[in-house]
Amino acid sequence: MIDAGVGGVQIADVSVDVETGVVSVNEMVAVQDIGLIINMKLAESQVYGALIMGITYSLFEESVYDPKTGQMLNADMEFYRLAGIKDVGKLKVHMMTGKGYDERGVIGLGEPPVISPGAAISNAVANAIGVRVPHLPLTPDRVIDALQKGGNIA
Amino acid sequence: MKSFEYVAPESIQEAVGFLTGGRGESEVLAGGMDLITSMKQGLTEPKRLVSLKNIPSLKRIEVSQEEVTIGSMVSLKDLAAHPAVQRQFPSLVTAVKGIGSAQMRALGTVGGDLCQRPRCWFFRNGMGLFPIKDGVSLIEEGDNRYHAIFGNDGPALFVSPSSLGPALAALGAKVNIATGSSRGGIRTVSAGNFFKTPSSDQERETILGSNDLVESVSIPVSGLKNATYEVRHRSGLDWPYVTASVAFQAKGGRADGGSIVLGHVAPRPWPAIHASNLLNGSVIDDDLAEKCAEAAVRGARPLSRNGYKVHMVKAAVKRAVLAAAQS
Repeated sequence: MIDAGVGGVQIADVSVDVETGVVSVNEMVAVQDIGLIINMKLAESQVYGALIMGITYSLFEESVYDPKTGQMLNADMEFYRLAGIKDVGKLKVHMMTGKGYDERGVIGLGEPPVISPGAAISNAVANAIGVRVPHLPLTPDRVIDALQKGGNIA
Repeated sequence: MKSFEYVAPESIQEAVGFLTGGRGESEVLAGGMDLITSMKQGLTEPKRLVSLKNIPSLKRIEVSQEEVTIGSMVSLKDLAAHPAVQRQFPSLVTAVKGIGSAQMRALGTVGGDLCQRPRCWFFRNGMGLFPIKDGVSLIEEGDNRYHAIFGNDGPALFVSPSSLGPALAALGAKVNIATGSSRGGIRTVSAGNFFKTPSSDQERETILGSNDLVESVSIPVSGLKNATYEVRHRSGLDWPYVTASVAFQAKGGRADGGSIVLGHVAPRPWPAIHASNLLNGSVIDDDLAEKCAEAAVRGARPLSRNGYKVHMVKAAVKRAVLAAAQS
């Protein structure tokens, strides 16, 4: 098994409420090439999991520390936010199979599909509002800040 | 958690009798949504818990021509499901539905929502409501993204967590308090004045005395148009960033006797007075909603990291006014 040649593409469709800064994911599509797939269900579910994890770190997940005491302020499930079922939108996974893929043998599928969501969602948000939100997660405060700095809102 | 005595009296009189030794010595147990968490976090270490679950009168919802009275032990779920509440007070129904998780709505109570302690993450991490280190406010200097933008000129910078508070205050509701003081009986205070901003760790966020408990809330039935809008990020279990509750009379297309109260922006439900004043005699339209939004943020004093809340308040007020107009 080798780890070379793994590849994928992800596309995000998002909505941004420019009055509140709230970003929501409507749909995400992940296309993944991992060479020969031994167990399709397991491989697909790995990519679904990656999308959910990716949406979570793109929109919600963040450790917050107090600069004076060094204490973590959100070491709980209340302010360390994770996406729930209604926050992930519609997810679609397509695995590349057949000629050109299968004969390359087993490559591997672990982290690759969890890398793309941050970029895909950030690009979709920038495309929607005309300015970049330069930090993850794309929380409402950062979206509003970017809109204000970009002169898009007062 | 330290061991404690548990009592579950069957009358209000007995219950207030058990509330001895001052705040923190004995605590009222309603749904336990906040109290049990607070005990696990070591924020309160009561010697006695006084459960209200065996007092039937606290679970009533009474509807008369003049008002709807809701016992303090009515669950949030039952409150939002009641036909009279649904018909008269959509503002409250929205506030309840925003409360994350069906479990919390099933067990959480009206009284508990009003009396829960702040969610300030300095407070919840044991640094106190007024966290100071080396003479410096940890909140002013630290991560204050969820803290107050109004009413923060004193030491209190946290926000009131109550979901029902702003809606009840806007609707002109009253809180009926069973008192254990020598006078006994029930005293009544407006929902707005039920909350107060504490100035020391010894105080709490309501006017309740150490042996008082919330008996019920009474909401006048006066045909007010009303609505709540909550700015939320996640759709599951989560706290809103900012909320706005609006209530007004509509007479011939004009608003009258209006009230706008904001949540999660101040240490108590915050009456937006300038915005409320606009709901007296003005024609109800999009323009009025915009004007209310601008007026609502007058006097805001954001901290270092929560200026975004000013922007959110405008959206919440505008949307709540428009939703109320259509209620």
